[in-house]
Amino acid sequence: MAARWSQYKRTWYFLRRNTLAMVGLGIIVLFAAAFVYGLSYPASSSVPTQYCATNGEWPPTASNPCYDAPNIICTYPQGTVPPTANCYMTPRDNPNFIAPTATLQGGLGQFPMGSLVYPAADLSSSDPLFYNTYTMLVKGTVNSIGISVLIVAAGAGAGLLVGALSGYYGGWVDEVVMRITDIFLSIPAILLVIAVIIVGKSSGLVTFNTTLVLIGVAFVIVWWPFYARIVRSQSLVVREQRYVEAARASGASNGRIIMRHIVPNSVYPVFVQMSLDVGTIPLLLAAITFIGFVLFPYPLIPEWGSVAAAGASVLTPVFTQCGVKGAVCAIPWWQILFPGLAIFFFSLSVNFLADGLRDALDPRLRR
Amino acid sequence: MRMWVYVVRRAVLVIPVVIGVMTILFVLISSLPEVERTCSFYHPSGRTSPCTTTIPCPQDPSKLCPNPVYQSAVDALGLNKPIFVQWAIYIGNALSFQWGYVAQGSALGTGETGSGLPSLAGQSVATVLSEFLPYTIELSIVSLLIILVVSIPLGNLSAVYRNRPVDQASRVMSFSGYALPAFLLGSFILAGMTFALGGPAAPSAICGGSSTVFLDFFGSWPQPPCVPLYGTANIGPVGFPNWLTIGYISSPTGFPTVDAAIHGQYYLALDTLLRMVLPAIVIAYTTIAGLLRFVRNSMLEVMNQDFIRTARAKGLPESKVIKKHAGRNSLNVTITVLGLTFAGFITGFPVVEIVFNLWGVGRIYAYSVVGGVKDWDFGVLFGTTLLFTYLVVAANIIVDILYAYLDPRVRLG
Amino acid sequence: MSAAVSAPSIVPNVQSVPPTAPPVSSTEVESAPIETRPVVMDVRNLVTYFYTYDGVVRALEGVSFKLRRGETLGLVGETGCGKSVTMFSITRLIPDPPGRVVSGKVLFRGADLLWGLGQEARFIPVKGSNRVKVKRSFRRVKAAQARVGSVRGQGIAMIFQEPTQAMNPIFPVYDQLSEVLLEHRGEELIDGLMQATPDGPAVRAAAEALERAVKVSDEAIRAASKALGEAVKLPTFGTQAFYMARQARTSGRGNLAQDVRKAATRLRLSGSQRAYLKTERELMKISREYRSVYISEMRRGELERANRGRLSARRLRARIRGLPYRLPGIKRRASRPLRDEAFWRTVQSLELVQIANPVQVARGYPHELSGGMLQRVMISMALACDPEILMADEPTTALDVTIQAQILELMNELRRRIGTAILLITHDLAVIAEVADRVAVMYAGQIVEMASVKSLYTRPLHPYTQGLLASIPRVDQPSKKLESIPGSVPNLIFPPTGCRYHPRCPHAMPICKEQRPPMTVEAPGHNVACFLYTGPPATE
Repeated sequence: MAARWSQYKRTWYFLRRNTLAMVGLGIIVLFAAAFVYGLSYPASSSVPTQYCATNGEWPPTASNPCYDAPNIICTYPQGTVPPTANCYMTPRDNPNFIAPTATLQGGLGQFPMGSLVYPAADLSSSDPLFYNTYTMLVKGTVNSIGISVLIVAAGAGAGLLVGALSGYYGGWVDEVVMRITDIFLSIPAILLVIAVIIVGKSSGLVTFNTTLVLIGVAFVIVWWPFYARIVRSQSLVVREQRYVEAARASGASNGRIIMRHIVPNSVYPVFVQMSLDVGTIPLLLAAITFIGFVLFPYPLIPEWGSVAAAGASVLTPVFTQCGVKGAVCAIPWWQILFPGLAIFFFSLSVNFLADGLRDALDPRLRR
Repeated sequence: MRMWVYVVRRAVLVIPVVIGVMTILFVLISSLPEVERTCSFYHPSGRTSPCTTTIPCPQDPSKLCPNPVYQSAVDALGLNKPIFVQWAIYIGNALSFQWGYVAQGSALGTGETGSGLPSLAGQSVATVLSEFLPYTIELSIVSLLIILVVSIPLGNLSAVYRNRPVDQASRVMSFSGYALPAFLLGSFILAGMTFALGGPAAPSAICGGSSTVFLDFFGSWPQPPCVPLYGTANIGPVGFPNWLTIGYISSPTGFPTVDAAIHGQYYLALDTLLRMVLPAIVIAYTTIAGLLRFVRNSMLEVMNQDFIRTARAKGLPESKVIKKHAGRNSLNVTITVLGLTFAGFITGFPVVEIVFNLWGVGRIYAYSVVGGVKDWDFGVLFGTTLLFTYLVVAANIIVDILYAYLDPRVRLG
Repeated sequence: MSAAVSAPSIVPNVQSVPPTAPPVSSTEVESAPIETRPVVMDVRNLVTYFYTYDGVVRALEGVSFKLRRGETLGLVGETGCGKSVTMFSITRLIPDPPGRVVSGKVLFRGADLLWGLGQEARFIPVKGSNRVKVKRSFRRVKAAQARVGSVRGQGIAMIFQEPTQAMNPIFPVYDQLSEVLLEHRGEELIDGLMQATPDGPAVRAAAEALERAVKVSDEAIRAASKALGEAVKLPTFGTQAFYMARQARTSGRGNLAQDVRKAATRLRLSGSQRAYLKTERELMKISREYRSVYISEMRRGELERANRGRLSARRLRARIRGLPYRLPGIKRRASRPLRDEAFWRTVQSLELVQIANPVQVARGYPHELSGGMLQRVMISMALACDPEILMADEPTTALDVTIQAQILELMNELRRRIGTAILLITHDLAVIAEVADRVAVMYAGQIVEMASVKSLYTRPLHPYTQGLLASIPRVDQPSKKLESIPGSVPNLIFPPTGCRYHPRCPHAMPICKEQRPPMTVEAPGHNVACFLYTGPPATE
């Protein structure tokens, strides 16, 4: 309809005037490009393969072979030399870990940090386990962004449905649903997510393949109350409008009214909240993986937070004992910094865009 | 209505919410396999033996008999009774702080957390948490102070001086704080302080905390010459030698800083307080980010109201209009939002406590979920979840009461 | 009922009237014909635009009028013609983004309230659209607000349309009323407090007389409490005693004399209280001097930086000196006498607006009062400091018709007593007929006709006025067809050229489309802006 199109145009005009929002949009476009690029990376095989650690030299040799890492099954007997493709570095597991000076070109030097400019040389490997920071980051981008968007979409959808129904019908249904959202909102998000995932995993309902679904379900369980609240307050307003009354008078069924009138008119604040949440969920994921909780098996499905967690495990004692320079050498700072920066810029750009969107859509701001 | 009537009403309204939360946790717990449930809430008298359904029979070690301790645990939890009974038993346990025991096989139980914490196996979860809780509470109090002191004035100023430098600065702060992961901010603040107080190559002049420090405490401070900015040197949890368990000193309140001050150990109190400054700044920064925008928006809304125009029309100086009329009104909304953000506040604690090496409840929670299936400790996990929920609910009640105190319209019902 | 315990503050305070206008008693004001009275406010060519996304809304295009002492000027027009905008433009209450008073002069007490408009903002048209970007100098706008703030409240008072929203909901009523009093009349209050004599045989005798009067009648109580106030040398104490006595009468409790004497002892000021009052008085004096500096700046048309600097240094010193008495523990006790005094003055001013139970109302909150009561409270707040002008924006539109009559009558009576000029803005012609002396009819941001009420209603000249009056339904001619003015209110972003009424005017001529008609004098005291009439140009 013409009115709606001109409203889009108007919204776009305001968005364009907002420099921060445009900057955010630009960065998001870059991330989207990285996302698409990362999709081209072949996925790791579905069976977790063996990971072993070396004591700092690379590649492992007979005299400096792989060691077992705790909690990870290593089918290669200790002391043997597995094929290079199956080894990767876990500083956490290595008490003697001393980081060498890292170089930026290629994968040379003692430590295959991998350059940030050239892709890893192992792209053609038959068992594509990628193990340098660069590829971890790219794959992490795909995973983190993909999970965030999926979670937000699912949570918003669930919340939208519940909120619209609750607001429209009112009465005791509304009361009950509001009490339930109160209950869910009283439990801090991180705790509930972890509890659900832990229960899911322990109760044997979930195998490795359905972990993703489990995580999605856990986040939806946590997030729907926010959306339900927003949609409910909007639908309370919308259902008093004249056109709803007219629709009801002309015989439209309840479901039709909800779908055609209530939902589209409640969408704007939901949209803003969704864009905000896409920025918040990577942070929550990072926090969860940082404290040590294994969401996804790390090198297989890397995620920004887990990459950082692996690097941060030797963090604090090093600062006091070695000073800054020593710490820079002894901690894989790149493993903490780059995923952290990725989260930061992604979240920042989404927030800029969401803020700009909110300002553009707010009817109360005088223009 | 009178104030206390409002308070009582509000407190009563909370009960269904608490019961609801416990029900959700109960649903989750009852989905666990029976072995896990029993072993997490195992009675400690059978602690010497691992948690198994069967043990070798005393008469014939080659055969397996059912473990009597295990059976008694099953009976105590009502696992063989209908689910409603189990629910009732769980609610009773939860309300009376019987949250189970630290499991033997978990990371906390075996002491393999890699951080120096001894094994806590067999201890009651509630006791363990109460050992670590005061530190987290002190940390949260300091963070809350910082949050209030910074966000309210800054938010009000950003609204009054819209689009001026103050507003732009606060916008930067709010966006950056919102997007920064806590571990990144924490690591880099720590690195920054290390650099500032030690320089690039020298060992840092920051004390992270080691237990030898406390023994020197009754001498001079700081000893060795360093500023204590992270870690928990002297106030240790259960199992650590600390100044509370060695010798004659008692712990009246359980809160480290307060106890130290009570005993006249002012340097120790200062030490503990200083160690909380950096982590509190990290937590406050991430919380202020969300709050600042809200304070600003609510202040803007208030400033558009009619009574502000009336106040100006009365000839009051602009500073008075803003401070008295606008400021007080926007305070109401701010307090409400602070209560709402409390739940998100909690999220930051585990991360910050790990980065800064503090011994609080968040750290214990992190260790209960670290690793894989074998390392999880359900008792501690659900106990911490319940504890944090209590805290959130309590915070919401306090906020509501504060709101009623500040806004007379609410009291009418 | 009139308040026998009259407060001296309602009598025009000689010190507050600037030397340019000699003090005039109320009776003199009322008897003089309007045209001969001195002019209190001269509005010249007020132009106000709103700069929005859709374009520039030309809300006011050259509004001019004069307001004379003691008269009620009604500003009439349809919704959206710019009446409220006029009032807000005069005292700079227009929300500055997006609005802007572009040009104009408002002469009040010899000062141009709108001085400095030109330097505050720059206008940059945006190519390819109707928008104009406004670059404001924040500092200058803020300074201008402070300048105009010096006359708000005690020179020009205002009441607004929605009384239920006009007060701050979290503070009690007395707090908001005493704000005005303390701000503008604070020194008087403090002086009165300092020279009160709460003890002595005269006081004791008066208290006993009051106790005896309780058994007699209400009038006796009134007289006795007034006498008590005189004995204590503090009239507000008389008010307090009056209400204590009334309550004693209804509750039948004895010991009134003792209670009254105990209340009087609270007037005995301790050392810290006296010191606090002295510092407060100093600060109030400095505020007053600031205000006069602002007014002289507006009068002379240039900033007086030296004076301001001097005053702010003095203020800083006074604040530092007063710091010990502002500490949270001490301030409460030290400010008690002043707050009580302000409270009872508030009660007195509520009495004047005929509120039946002023003590309960004063102690209560705004949301506990009805619209009519709130509007009375707003009126008392506006008139508390004897302003020269009261501007009322549709004060009765939100109220019932019966309450409307009461409020208008109240405004009239207060005007007669104090001599305030009233600018009454409304769309209701009936209200104008009742209350106003002169009327200005506005259409689309311009004044089209200005006349005395009688003249306008008997002989409306402008076609718009004629249309307005013709469209009032007549109860005495039930069969007459309801007339209306064809067309609709013009879009102020693209206003009609020339005379803004010409698209709807039945007598439109070609010249109406090209030029804006000037205000011409058609009859003594009756001006009109229309090309149908050719008279000498109006001077106002």
